[in-house]
Amino acid sequence: MQGPDGMESSDAALVARVLHGEVNAYGALVSRYRDKYARYAVHMLGNREDAEEALQDAFTRAYRSLARCEDPERFGAWLFRILVNRCRTSGARRVRRSQTFVHDETALLNASQEHPAEQTMWREEIERALGELSADQREAFLLKYVEELGYDEMAEITGVGVSALKMRVMRACDRLRILLREVHSA
Amino acid sequence: MPDWGRTTLELIVQELQRPVRVDESFDRRVMVRVRRLYAERRPRGAAGWMGAAVNLTRRPAYAAALAAGVVAVVTVGMLRSSHPGAAVGAESPIPVQFVLVAPEARSVAVVGDFNNWGLGDTALVAENHNGVWSVSAPVKAGVHRYAFLVNGKQWVADPTAPRAASDDFGQPSSALVVEGTVE
Repeated sequence: MQGPDGMESSDAALVARVLHGEVNAYGALVSRYRDKYARYAVHMLGNREDAEEALQDAFTRAYRSLARCEDPERFGAWLFRILVNRCRTSGARRVRRSQTFVHDETALLNASQEHPAEQTMWREEIERALGELSADQREAFLLKYVEELGYDEMAEITGVGVSALKMRVMRACDRLRILLREVHSA
Repeated sequence: MPDWGRTTLELIVQELQRPVRVDESFDRRVMVRVRRLYAERRPRGAAGWMGAAVNLTRRPAYAAALAAGVVAVVTVGMLRSSHPGAAVGAESPIPVQFVLVAPEARSVAVVGDFNNWGLGDTALVAENHNGVWSVSAPVKAGVHRYAFLVNGKQWVADPTAPRAASDDFGQPSSALVVEGTVE
């Protein structure tokens, strides 16, 4: 969404407009962060349905608490923190519902025409391996390597200490290497 | 086939960093929820936290009446509070939240005919939330005029509300309708 000067509106400007009663300005924030954060939710939860639900919840909760966003310029980071928490809750519910991790929907979601079949298989193997990790390890790995956050940012988002996060990431990497080597040596 | 000349970790990350696209209907679904929340937060008779006197835009008849300088009678019978099922009397004030976006301001207060235009220290002092100033106050049902007092001296009409037909004290002021409903 563009501002009155024709320039792309900043997060802070959009937040201010929403707080001032322009509810449609929130749509611009949704469009801005939808795809970016869908990636994290899909990889974290392993299926599209849960991921979209978590993402919708995150956007809705962020809207409801928008006046408490302390730094509107960093709305995206604040929203992401909410999403990480929603994924944790959703993940916990899913584990109670079923102990099996759904891989195929994630693979199908991202499979596109330009990817050959082998590439799609590789992606499926990665998703399957990701699903073998504990939720804590998967979360730490995705935040560190896929979302490319620093450990301090990760600690802020997750509430977990830096040393514990480093350990989780290291173990996740080791486990993924083993799982994927097994696949390719089979 | 993956390029095994690179490390497995790099290959995994490269694959996981591919964009994930969500159907555009997702935006509509989120905004349906958001608009529902927005509507719920603006109880009948009071502007929600998003802005003051915005309900005037849904009541063009009131706006026209004010523009013509006509004082509209808006309270009839019992009022409905923001809490479902809790009826309040016609004289009961209804909480209204006033909001002004003014990142450069050092202070913001609300003055209006409902607080004697701030005379005798009755101005409503707004709190600053990163440039978004807000304050709540109970206002009786009816048609009111108000303005923001910025930095203790500058009168500012609410940019989101209709301008009152006759400016009190020669300063710009805005129109606020706190409406009631017949039970």
